[in-house]
Amino acid sequence: MPQPAMGIRLPPAVVSWGRSSVDVWQPSPLTLTLFLGPAVLIFVGFTAYPVLRTFYNSLYLVGPKGAATFVGLHNFSQVLRADPVFWTAVRNTAIFTLVGTPLDVFGGLLLALCLFAGVPFARSLRVIWFLPVLMSYVVVGIIWVWIYDYDWGALNLLLHAVGLGRLEHSWLGDPATALWAVMAAHLWKWLGFNMIVFLAALHALPGDVLGAAELDNCGWIAKAIYIIIPMLRPTLVNLLVLSFIGKMMIFDLVWIMTQGGPLWSTETVSTYVYKRAFDWNTFDLGYPSAIAVLWFIIIIAFVLVVSWLLRQRDRLEF
Amino acid sequence: MNWAVAIKGACLAAMLALVGGSLIPSARAEDVTLTVWSHEADEPAKVAFRDQVASDLEKQHPGLHIKITWFEKNGLYTALRTALPAGRGPDVFYLEPDQLHQYVTAGYLLPLDDLVNWNQIYPWARAVWQENGKSWGIPQEVNDNVIYYNKDWAKKLGVVLPVGGQLSQSAFVDLVKKARAAGMVPIAQGVGDRPYPGAYIIGEALLHKLGKEDYAKLWTGKLSFSDPRVVEVLTWVKQLVDAGAYPKDFMTIKLGESFYYFYSKPGALMLPMGSFYSGRAFAPPDKGGQPADFPLGIMQYPAMDGGACNNCQTAGIGSSFVINAATKHPKEAAEFLDAMSTPASGAIWIGKVYEPGAMKTDITQFGGPHGAYLSELMESQKNVDPFIGMPLDLMTDGGCKDAFGQVLNSAFPGGLLSVDKAVQMMNAACYQH
Repeated sequence: MPQPAMGIRLPPAVVSWGRSSVDVWQPSPLTLTLFLGPAVLIFVGFTAYPVLRTFYNSLYLVGPKGAATFVGLHNFSQVLRADPVFWTAVRNTAIFTLVGTPLDVFGGLLLALCLFAGVPFARSLRVIWFLPVLMSYVVVGIIWVWIYDYDWGALNLLLHAVGLGRLEHSWLGDPATALWAVMAAHLWKWLGFNMIVFLAALHALPGDVLGAAELDNCGWIAKAIYIIIPMLRPTLVNLLVLSFIGKMMIFDLVWIMTQGGPLWSTETVSTYVYKRAFDWNTFDLGYPSAIAVLWFIIIIAFVLVVSWLLRQRDRLEF
Repeated sequence: MNWAVAIKGACLAAMLALVGGSLIPSARAEDVTLTVWSHEADEPAKVAFRDQVASDLEKQHPGLHIKITWFEKNGLYTALRTALPAGRGPDVFYLEPDQLHQYVTAGYLLPLDDLVNWNQIYPWARAVWQENGKSWGIPQEVNDNVIYYNKDWAKKLGVVLPVGGQLSQSAFVDLVKKARAAGMVPIAQGVGDRPYPGAYIIGEALLHKLGKEDYAKLWTGKLSFSDPRVVEVLTWVKQLVDAGAYPKDFMTIKLGESFYYFYSKPGALMLPMGSFYSGRAFAPPDKGGQPADFPLGIMQYPAMDGGACNNCQTAGIGSSFVINAATKHPKEAAEFLDAMSTPASGAIWIGKVYEPGAMKTDITQFGGPHGAYLSELMESQKNVDPFIGMPLDLMTDGGCKDAFGQVLNSAFPGGLLSVDKAVQMMNAACYQH
């Protein structure tokens, strides 16, 4: 057995797989198995298998007690050609994503810049703005249902108090406002997360670059636009992609607040998949699986396109 | 010490223990644990009833353990839909008649014809649970659709009705308008978490107008929503909506919240509801029940001009229980169902829940703190011609049910749709040309 350098005695069970310029302790296959095994098992059991099974189910009509009839692309064809509720859900999800994502990310950036600039009570504001992130979707949904309550909700009471009583509204009961109301609740929950990530990135920026900008009499806004934001580009792209994916899969908040109503105006693809799987008069999982697979493909395609469009074309040197 | 060998040995021992342990019977042969999944977690009277039945049965059968898990309805149905296909469902579970067809088609239910004592159950209630010539569930709860109202507030508006009284359709509209003018919310109703409460008035009005046969045809897709009688009823309901019958929060108020809205805060004149009203309303006031001195009245749904059956009334079967086809304890499961259905259990049901049941019991005998309510409820049913089954019980197509929930339950009474649009959407989803 090869002897390790520097007189370090390795336990006999550990085998060194090869010599390198610096000898390191290489774990044995058994050790790797014991430590990685549980995590791999959980991943396979709760992520990989359900995903693969969904792909499989989408090609079948799943009958009672799992009896399946192969139907090929029939489910997909039905979804794309003969399901108006699916297209309504796609439209709602697209609006939610395309409007909500920039608001989420750039709103978080704005808050981070405020804190980075040293506004008064910055420490308290950081905590206050981050608190909603720690709440579950259920709590956030219930809070906002109360805020939007027509009779005693804070929003209508506030409007009444400032003399804007004519704007009082059933925010979740009107198809014209329900989706925007849910989006506002979602924004409230996630702004703090983006803020914290941007704040960390801002604090990691090289001080000499920012100092040089100040020496050149660069104003705060110009500094933000021409120096800070370009240097934050990788963080920005990552948060845009994460926010995009999260919103394309939005379920919890919509389910708690409106369950897709009124009149499907807040129906998202995820809530529709859930309803087709659990609320319709059938145990067939093939059709909702087809919707889920279709949406998975669309999300992947969009993420690839967005990542390519926002890729860094030149290297920043500082 | 050779650590590699020791670790391998420990893993092997652990695996053998897991496998071997599963082969050893975990209980004595005579010990049976019957698992029951039930809705009604937020109705303490019904929880108390089922717990008592379970406890009494356990005492009669040493070795029998009944484990009841309580859910809210939506949570229960979701849990069943994942557990049953995986072969992990309970022995007995709560189900309602609108779910019958899909569960029978999927093969998840055990037929009960030869398992339970049907002499204890009213035949018309049993009929609701029959499909393909077999009986699949044991009904427990009978819901009469009535309109609960605040007698004092009605008196203030100049309306005094006998027990089970009925207004004409124009008088009902007038009552709604008067209530609004007096600053009252005419009808407490909310569709935040259920697919049917918003359609109570629509449904009963259609039943009165069409009569039983055509009413059944409407919900089974054999009668068009463009039928002039249907359009007439929807036009009348639109008058109510435009008169401000429903609260502004109609879309988000949950079923349980609408009870509180009616008898407590902010208060409303009327609450169209099934007679399962008592399950929540008669909980102690500090647990969300109605105040002890609440002036509760009961009226029938309005009579429709030229109606085919103005004394018809929907009597739905509510809570029922079924046996999982995969159960290993069918005999014990059937005993539990029988135990819930005896005349003695029926007496306990009425004594605790103050609701009619599907079990044969002489319900005129009972008093207690809400005995007067029960007497009034039965009085209101004297001249009623019952139609068994809610609209959702009659529909079998998922798309039609979804449209019913979104259109007639929610958007139309919520004032979001015209009559024409509602007719068009319901026909598109339900009418089989």
